[in-house]
Amino acid sequence: MTKRFGMRNLALIVLALMLGSTVLLDIFVIETVVEPLVYLYIALGGIFIIYVIPPLYASRRLVSYYWQRVKRNRLAVAGLGFILFLILLAIVGPFFTADPTAVSFEEKNIPPVGFTLKESIYELETGQFITRTATGYWQHPLGTDNKGRDLLAMIISGAGVSLQVGLLATGIALALGTLIGVVSAYLGGKTDNILMRFTDIMMTFPFFLLLVLIVFIFGANLAIIVLVIGLTGWTGTARLIRSETLSLRTRDFIMAARALGASDGRIVLTHLVPNVISLIIVIATLSIPGVIVAEAALSFIGLGDPAVTSWGMVLRAGQQTLDTAWWVAVAPGMMLFLTVLAFNFVGDGLRDAFDPRSSL
Amino acid sequence: MKKTWLRDYIIKRLLYAIIIAWGILTVTFVLLRIGPTSPADKYLANLAARGQDAAQVIAAVEARYGLDQPIYAQYLNYIGNLVRGDWGWSFSTSMPVMELIQTHWIYSFQLILLSSIFAGIIGILIGIYSAVRQYSKTDYIATFFSFIGISIPNFWLGVMLILLFAVQFGLFKTYYDTSLPLFSLANLKQLILPVITLGTGMLAGYTRYTRSAMLDNLRKEFVRTARAKGLPERTVIGKHVFRNAILPLITIIMFDLGSIVFGGAYLTEIVFGIPGLGQISFNAIFADDYAVVVAVTLIAAFLILMINLVTDITYTYLDPRIRYD
Repeated sequence: MTKRFGMRNLALIVLALMLGSTVLLDIFVIETVVEPLVYLYIALGGIFIIYVIPPLYASRRLVSYYWQRVKRNRLAVAGLGFILFLILLAIVGPFFTADPTAVSFEEKNIPPVGFTLKESIYELETGQFITRTATGYWQHPLGTDNKGRDLLAMIISGAGVSLQVGLLATGIALALGTLIGVVSAYLGGKTDNILMRFTDIMMTFPFFLLLVLIVFIFGANLAIIVLVIGLTGWTGTARLIRSETLSLRTRDFIMAARALGASDGRIVLTHLVPNVISLIIVIATLSIPGVIVAEAALSFIGLGDPAVTSWGMVLRAGQQTLDTAWWVAVAPGMMLFLTVLAFNFVGDGLRDAFDPRSSL
Repeated sequence: MKKTWLRDYIIKRLLYAIIIAWGILTVTFVLLRIGPTSPADKYLANLAARGQDAAQVIAAVEARYGLDQPIYAQYLNYIGNLVRGDWGWSFSTSMPVMELIQTHWIYSFQLILLSSIFAGIIGILIGIYSAVRQYSKTDYIATFFSFIGISIPNFWLGVMLILLFAVQFGLFKTYYDTSLPLFSLANLKQLILPVITLGTGMLAGYTRYTRSAMLDNLRKEFVRTARAKGLPERTVIGKHVFRNAILPLITIIMFDLGSIVFGGAYLTEIVFGIPGLGQISFNAIFADDYAVVVAVTLIAAFLILMINLVTDITYTYLDPRIRYD
């Protein structure tokens, strides 16, 4: 046990060093600025490796038991399959598709493969409107929008944006929520009171409106959007983790640890946190869709990062051309819907699997 | 006896609500202060664009916003003004923010009210039916559709409804017509798509909540007793099960109002061009009109605060099991 805690401390120091060296590298060595998202990746990846992997590895028989239970839920498996497909699409897809921002006015409003569309266009030579039928072809499988941008490329780019925002923002929100929840429940008293009153204040703000306000104030940029969603979305998690911790706090193994002279920090980190991990995983899976939709909604109302092509942005463009190019609005929303559905299925499957009362 | 502790409880809740309201104001003040550009900067850019002398404008704006004063004085001013009802000046529409809100709130209100009624009635009925006939075909279908309803992003649903019913079939106008009188059938008709857009997510949520709340109570001992003494099933479900399920349900519905409905209404208004509070906030964002964006957020937060307060007090009053003394 002492050895593992030593390892954990070492890992934390290594993580801090990595972050620090990236910052130094960023400031002094390289001219090009490191994307702010890289820091988030390093920090969250580190926290994940230090606090999620070891407890899961230590109880790998339990993990495989739960996996057996999840596997019996077909919708959850299908959802998981879709999520993996989406991740693959977001990573590999950009190498095979055209630039999602490449504009081409010769190829505008091309319908998806299998669809034909009558459109009237103005011909320069004759000066008359002629009716033409446009048919979709395989160079643009999902068609193009009114500026001739390839819809498939935009969808793939959007998948990357949605997944990044979903995973990173949820990561921040969960880390923060868990910390606040556990600390609040464990320390109790005045700390608990102050933290929970602050949670109440944050909860009273309607999440989306607060998001709009903050992004409006701080500017639209993917890193800011991720941070803002992460820093405002922890309230529900904090409440849930707090109540879970409250019931864990009086259990025998915590008492035993305390009787053996373990420090508060050690009890929280090595005994409380690993025991709420199943709850954290369920909350994570069920809050990712909300985050993805929030980002899409921000982009949809024009508060998204203008530098990246996201689903919300494509949908916004699609709403303006509903009468000439309906597919531009259908495709991104459909992807958004399927992604949310997939995460909800997986989350429900996991919750049922972790619930000892459910008979699976 | 009950009266005294209830009164104490209400006073306690009121004080608590005031503290939270103060917290909300403080959080917004801090946000505005630590933002990279102050409201004055945006206002300034706006005025400078009209070709006015920069130095003069800066001085005027700083005086207007009180930025030349120390930070605590600004803070006190900010809270003082909001409390007195002076919510600032909307330069993009050239009227006080309060006046702007007074002319537009009704559009948001009608949308949220109609959607809540639509979603509440249908959702609760489906939920009850689903729970009573658990594991029947209807239950599975209802569960499946509620899953879809929860997962569908409402702004996309709105766009799809416009595409299908307004663009393709031409049954509705694609945009909200403000010239129609508020209490008319034509207005009700053009609200059908927005209400479905906002209501679907709520409907799905209410179906699920009702179903699980009903199921929790259906398994209880007193239900078996009620059935054993020969009460008709209708009475058992209606009186014994539903009455017990309704209280937690109301809390969840009220909680939803804050987290889901206000955000959903914001987006629905933008999709359909309904000139409610969401729409004016949306317009204000593109005009860099700080006062309006802040005001809409604050109003929503205060509404939620009030709704929570009323729910809590009603809950305590109605449920004899709850006592906080």
